Amino acid sequence: MIEARNLSKRYGDIVAVDDVSFQVERGEVVGFLGPNGAGKTTTMRMLTGFLPPTDGSARVAGYDIFDEPLAARRAVGYLPETPPLYPEMSVESYVDYVARIKDVPRGERAAKVGRALERCGLEAVGRRVIGTLSKGFRQRVGLAQAIVHEPPVLILDEPTVGLDPVQIGEIRELIRGLAGGDGEARHTVILSTHILPEVEAICRRVVMINGGRKTVDAPLSELTAGGQSLEALFAREAARDATPGADNTAEAEAEEGAP
Amino acid sequence: MKHVPTVAWRELRSLFVSPVAYAVLSLFAVVAGFFFVLFVSAFNEQLMRLQQFQAFDQLEQLNLSDHLIGYFYQQILGLLAFVVPGITMGLFVSEKQNGTQELLMTSPLTIWDVVLGKFGAAAGFVTLLVAMVGAFPALLFFYGDPEVGKTISGLLALLLVGWTFVAVGTFASSITRSQIVAVLITFVLLIGLMMLPVISMLGVLGDAGGAGAALAWLSPGEHFDPLLQGLVDTADLTYFAVVIGSLLLLTKAAVESVRWR
Repeated sequence: MIEARNLSKRYGDIVAVDDVSFQVERGEVVGFLGPNGAGKTTTMRMLTGFLPPTDGSARVAGYDIFDEPLAARRAVGYLPETPPLYPEMSVESYVDYVARIKDVPRGERAAKVGRALERCGLEAVGRRVIGTLSKGFRQRVGLAQAIVHEPPVLILDEPTVGLDPVQIGEIRELIRGLAGGDGEARHTVILSTHILPEVEAICRRVVMINGGRKTVDAPLSELTAGGQSLEALFAREAARDATPGADNTAEAEAEEGAP
Repeated sequence: MKHVPTVAWRELRSLFVSPVAYAVLSLFAVVAGFFFVLFVSAFNEQLMRLQQFQAFDQLEQLNLSDHLIGYFYQQILGLLAFVVPGITMGLFVSEKQNGTQELLMTSPLTIWDVVLGKFGAAAGFVTLLVAMVGAFPALLFFYGDPEVGKTISGLLALLLVGWTFVAVGTFASSITRSQIVAVLITFVLLIGLMMLPVISMLGVLGDAGGAGAALAWLSPGEHFDPLLQGLVDTADLTYFAVVIGSLLLLTKAAVESVRWR
């Protein structure tokens, strides 16, 4: 469902993402790991079509992000690091607006908006203004916005950051549910995080990048075989290719340049 | 470009839940009303004075269209230059501040959907303001008989200049991340545009003839005045279309540039 081929992103001399390739099959939940500034966000932004790669290409749900950008974007639900919310809108009208711009046909819109609100536990706050919601609820609205058009592919950038343990549990449950459906309803999920227990809780496969390069790509069961902890692996991988200085600036610039 | 109305509608709704829209509407109504009263009383005074002096030639020339409505419209033009930056400042800046730019750019929208939607929303708001302004001269039809054609072509002039201002503000909002900076850029550009006829008369430019005239031609004021006189010329209408179109093209390039970096 997702196929990244030799993706690279350079800002001048600074290499944010360097020749990253991987594949994700339908219904898989892949954990995208790496230290801060490793290039996770940049890679996700390239997959969603927000940033064009300097080199390489990608296919999402069978559509090339260059040749069929609109079809590819229709097939993706994306939750950026900070949920893209309009604070002055009500939850319902916001999710309805997103459904419109994601090309959900008029006849199905009300039903899909209702379903997204229900799945994210937002029915009770549907008429509330987003700006007055707590952080946990805003994160859920962000997730509702990502799933409202029922895209085959979900790309979630740190979906549980800043939530309390109960909320984290709920969101994880929700993500597991999204990938657990049948046939067409099964979502393919890429989720970035640096919370390792989260990966163990929901992902079946791990892709780790560090310094812009892919360092690990293996099923979780293989990585933790023989009682090895994911934490030890993460520490080892993060230390191995230590060019963090340069790549931190790359990521920082990416944030600056790509608002 | 089927999503232009979707984007415009959301923008308008957000404008109307913010205090900005109501502040601008009430400010506009009060100040426009003040100007109107001022010009009505000035007109009456002039009328009485001319009657006192039995200046029949001048009395003959005094009319509501030129000596009241025309002056009034000119003041409204200045007022528009003040309020438009406030309306347009948030168009793109707030998307960057909310992080919703990432949502727009990863949705199946074209950049024209976004640019035209936002311009359309602000231009729609200015249309509302101009319609409000139209109510004042409409009152005069109860008491006198101003020229209908001139009254309407003057409103059209206000509308076109207002839309041009909106295009300037839309562009300014697309090139910065701060609302205050957007307001300042819009002000500077608007004042610059309106001052062009004066600048074109200075020093070398004034002597150069062609260059000076070309500069003056770029100013919206030069195309506002003929319309105010009731002269609807295709050349002037084309001017507005070209200027608005170019500014929107620049805006599109600015929004798109996020992807080049």
